Amino acid sequence: MNVGTPEPLLSIRGLKVEFSTRHGKVTALDGIDLDLMPGETLGVVGESGCGKSITALATMGLIPDPPGRIAGGHVLFDGEDITRADPRRLRSLRGADISMIFQEPMTSLNPVFTAGDQIAEAIMLHQSAGKAEADRMAVELLRTVGIPEPERRSRSYPHELSGGMRQRVMIAMAISCRPRILIADEPTTALDVTVQAQIFDLMRDIQRQFSVAIMLITHDMGAIAEMADRVAVMYAGRIVEKGTADEILDHPLHPYTRGLIGCIPVLGKEAGEEGRMPPLAEIPGIVPPLHLLGRGCAFADRCPLAFDRCRAESPALEGGAHKVACFAAEMEAA
Amino acid sequence: MGVADPAAIATPEAISPLREAWTVYRRNVPAVFGTLLLVAIILFVLYGTFIYKGDPYEIVWAPQTPPGTEATVPLGTDNLGRDILRGLLKGGGPTLAVGAAAAIITLVIGISLGGVAGYFGGWIDDLLMRVTEFFQVLPALLFAMVVITLFSPSTITTAIAIGVVLWPQTARLTRAEFLKIRELEYVTAARSIGARNGRIMWKVILPNALPPLIVSATLTVGVAILFQAGLSFLGLDDPNTMSWGLMIGTNRQYILDAWWPVTFPGIAIFLTVFAVSLVGDGLNDAFNPKLRER
Amino acid sequence: MGPTAYIARRLAYGVILLIGVLVLNFFLIHAAPGDPAETIAGAMGGATARMLADIRSAYGLDKPLLTQLAIYLGRVAHGDLGMSYYFNQPVIDLIAARVGPTILLVLAAQVIAITAGVAMGVFAARKPSGPLSAFVAVLSTVGYAAPVFWTGIMLVILFASIIPIFPVEGMTSARFSGGFVAHIGDVLYHLALPAFTLAIIFLAQYSRLSRASMIDVLGADYVRTARAKGLSETKVVFKHALRNAVLPIITVAGIQFGNLISGALLVESVFNWPGMGRLAFDSVLRRDYPTLLGILFFAALMVVVANLLTDLSYRFADPRIRTGGR
Repeated sequence: MNVGTPEPLLSIRGLKVEFSTRHGKVTALDGIDLDLMPGETLGVVGESGCGKSITALATMGLIPDPPGRIAGGHVLFDGEDITRADPRRLRSLRGADISMIFQEPMTSLNPVFTAGDQIAEAIMLHQSAGKAEADRMAVELLRTVGIPEPERRSRSYPHELSGGMRQRVMIAMAISCRPRILIADEPTTALDVTVQAQIFDLMRDIQRQFSVAIMLITHDMGAIAEMADRVAVMYAGRIVEKGTADEILDHPLHPYTRGLIGCIPVLGKEAGEEGRMPPLAEIPGIVPPLHLLGRGCAFADRCPLAFDRCRAESPALEGGAHKVACFAAEMEAA
Repeated sequence: MGVADPAAIATPEAISPLREAWTVYRRNVPAVFGTLLLVAIILFVLYGTFIYKGDPYEIVWAPQTPPGTEATVPLGTDNLGRDILRGLLKGGGPTLAVGAAAAIITLVIGISLGGVAGYFGGWIDDLLMRVTEFFQVLPALLFAMVVITLFSPSTITTAIAIGVVLWPQTARLTRAEFLKIRELEYVTAARSIGARNGRIMWKVILPNALPPLIVSATLTVGVAILFQAGLSFLGLDDPNTMSWGLMIGTNRQYILDAWWPVTFPGIAIFLTVFAVSLVGDGLNDAFNPKLRER
Repeated sequence: MGPTAYIARRLAYGVILLIGVLVLNFFLIHAAPGDPAETIAGAMGGATARMLADIRSAYGLDKPLLTQLAIYLGRVAHGDLGMSYYFNQPVIDLIAARVGPTILLVLAAQVIAITAGVAMGVFAARKPSGPLSAFVAVLSTVGYAAPVFWTGIMLVILFASIIPIFPVEGMTSARFSGGFVAHIGDVLYHLALPAFTLAIIFLAQYSRLSRASMIDVLGADYVRTARAKGLSETKVVFKHALRNAVLPIITVAGIQFGNLISGALLVESVFNWPGMGRLAFDSVLRRDYPTLLGILFFAALMVVVANLLTDLSYRFADPRIRTGGR
C-alpha cells in the first residue's frame, strides 16, 4: 500500500442507476466515480435533477426500488460493496457507519414523536443501549449540537422547534452512533442565511470532534467555498468536473462550473481575469429531462462555447488531479 | 425528493380543460363501463315496460315460482305470485326518479348555503357552518324517517326527505371551493369592475367550482338511491308505488323459502349505484389528472 | 388551550347542538299537519278526548309557542322525553331498554371496519399496483354500492340455509342456560353477522382511505429519515408511517358515526336485533311521535358523544393539535 495516499473510506466506481418512468427507462446516474477520504469534506455540486441526491441515496442503499435500480458499478465502503450487501447488513450500516441529514428539516422529522425519542431510537437500535440510557445520550447529543435547554427540548415535538433547531436535531440524530461518513443533502437550503452559517460551523465542529468524513451535496457554490476540501461537479447524471476546492473555485474549466460560480452572490472574485471566460450571471435554460438526452454533451444546448462536436459525441472525464469533461476546455488547455 | 423530477416534466398541450377531462374519461375503462351500464339501466327502466308489458301487482302465476322454470315469468314470481321482472321494470322508475330529485334538492340547498358561507365569510360563514354541523349530528336515515312520518308518505315526500338530510356535505364542499376561488384574480377583477355579489357568486365563481361539485352530485345520486331503497325497504315510502326497495321489503319474510324475489331487486339497486359510482370516480379522475397515479 | 378548557368548550358546544335537536323536534311536531295534541297522541285514531286534554295541559299547548318550547325543554332537562301512548310507557324507559344493543352493534361494526380496513389499506399501500390494491379498489366501490339491508339478507340466506354456522336472528338464543360469561359469548356469537354486515360499507371506505393515506406517508421525508437510521422495514411502516397514516382515518371514522347509526337501523331490522332501530321502525308504523323524536334525540346524543371522543383521540394522536400549533 502506498503510504502517501491513504485508502478512501468510500469509493464509488462506475455507478449507474436507472429509473423506469412513464417515458421509459432513464439513466439517472451514468458511470459515476467518486472517492471520499477519511475526515475530508467532499462537495458534490449541481442543479436540482443532476443526480447528486441519487448518488447520496445509492450510498445509503436507499434507492427506491421500484422504480429505481442500480444497473452497474460499485459503492465500496471500507472495501465492502454496498450495492451487493443484503438488506440486514445495509440496515446495520445505515445510521451507524453512514448517516445522512436531509434538505428539509421541516418534514424530515416525524411529527408525532419527540425530538429526544427520534434520536434515542437510533441509539437503541445500533448501540444496544436501554431506553433510559439512550434518552440520556440523546440529551447529551442535543447539548453537543448546541441546542439550549436540551433536557426540555428533547421532549419537544418537531413543530415546536425552529427550522435551524430541527436541523440541529437531524445532525444530532445523524452523529448519534459516531458514523464514519456523514452525507449532508442540501443541509442548509431551507434555512435562512444566518442559520446557514451556524449549521456550517456546527458541521465543522462535528467533523473535528468525531473525525467524520462529510459528503456535502449542494447546488450552492458558496457552501462549497465554505466547507469543501474537494469538489465534484455533476450535470445530468454525470460528473463533469472534479478537483480540489481551490482548483475548482479559482480555475473552473467546465463552462457549467463557471456558470455555477457566477451564481454566487458575494464571492469577490473579479470577473474577467485574463485567460478566463467572463462568468455567466445565470446559466440559461434548465437541466434537460433525462429521457430527452441525446448522444452529445448534455450541457451543449445551454453552453455558450458549444460547437458541432459537442452535439455529436459526449466528452469523457479526463485530466490529472483536476479532471474535466469538456471539448472546449480541452481545446483551451491545448 | 426530486428523484423523478426530470422525467415528470409533462409536455404542455394547449387544450381546454373540459376537452382534456373528456380525453382522460374516455380512456378510463371502468368509467366507460359504468357509463354504458348506467345508460343500459336507464333505457331498461324507461322503455322496458313497452316491450315487457303488464301490471307488476297482478298475480300471474303460482307463488314463489323459481326463475327460469316458466317462460311466462322468466325471473320467477314473488310470494303472492306476482311477476318479478315486471316489478323490476316498473320499480326502477321511482327509484331512479327519487334518487335524481333528491340529489337536485341536495345540490340546491347545499350550493346555496355553502356558496353564501364561502363567499361572504365572517359571521355568516360561522352561522351557516354551525347550522351545517347541526344537521350532520342527526343520523340521516333516522331524520328522513321522521320527516316522512310527519308528512304523509309519498314519492315526493321521500325525495324531499332525502334531499333535506343529505345536503350538509355538499354545503361544506361548496364552501371550501368558494373560499378558495374568491381569492383568485379574476374574481377580484370582476369585483373591481363593479359586478354585484350575486353575479360574482353564481356567474363567476360557481362555474369554476363545478368540477368537484359535479363529482359530488354524481355520488349523491348514488347515496340518494340507496336511501330511497332503504326507506321503501322499511315500508316508509308510498306502498302503492312499486320500487326495488319495496320489492325487497315485502318479500323479506320469505327469503328462506325463495331467494329470488329479494335477490333480483337487490342486484338492480347494486348495479345502478355501482354504475353511478364508477361514473363519479371517473369524473373525479378526469377533473384531477394528478390524482390518477393513485 | 389546555386540555380541560378544550374539553369544557367542546362539551358546551355539544350541549348547544343537543338543545338545537330538541328545538327542531318541537317545531317538527308543530309543522306536521293537524292538531299537535293528536300528533303527540299518535294518529292511530284511538286517542280519547280525555287523553287529548291531558296532553294539552302537560305540554301547555294552549299557551304561546315560546312558553310551550320552554315547557318542553324543561321536561327534557328533567329526563322526561314524554309518554309513548302506543306502548303506554315513558319514552325514556323504552329507549333505555334498547340503546345498549344499538351501541354494541355500532361499536362492534366500527372496530371491525377500522381494524380490517386499516390492515388492508396498509398492506395494499406496500404494493400500490399489486393484487391487494386492486381488491381494495373493487371492494370500496362494491361496498359503497350494495344496499346494507340487502347484503344482510343475502348473508342471512347464506348462513341460514347454506352454511349454518352463525345465528341469523336476535341477540340471544331462545333456550339458553349458562353463566354470565357464556351469556356474553352467546351475545357476541349473535353479534357476528349483523356487525360484519354493517362493517362492510365502512370497511370499504377505510381501506381505500388508509391505502391512499399510507401511500402518501410512505413517500414522506420522515419515512426516508427512518430508513436512513437503519430501522427495519417493519418498524418504518408500523411505527413511523402508520402513526401518521391513521390520522385522517380517525377524522373520517368520527364523521361516520351518524351513518353507522343510520345503517344500524336497517341492519337491526334485517337481523331482528333488539335495538333502537326496531323501536324506531315500530314507532313510525304506529305514528308514535314522542318515541320517534326521543330516538332522534338519543341518536344525536350518541353522535355528539362519539364526535367528542373522536376529537379527544385525535388530539392524543397528533401532537401538533395537542400543543396548539402547526
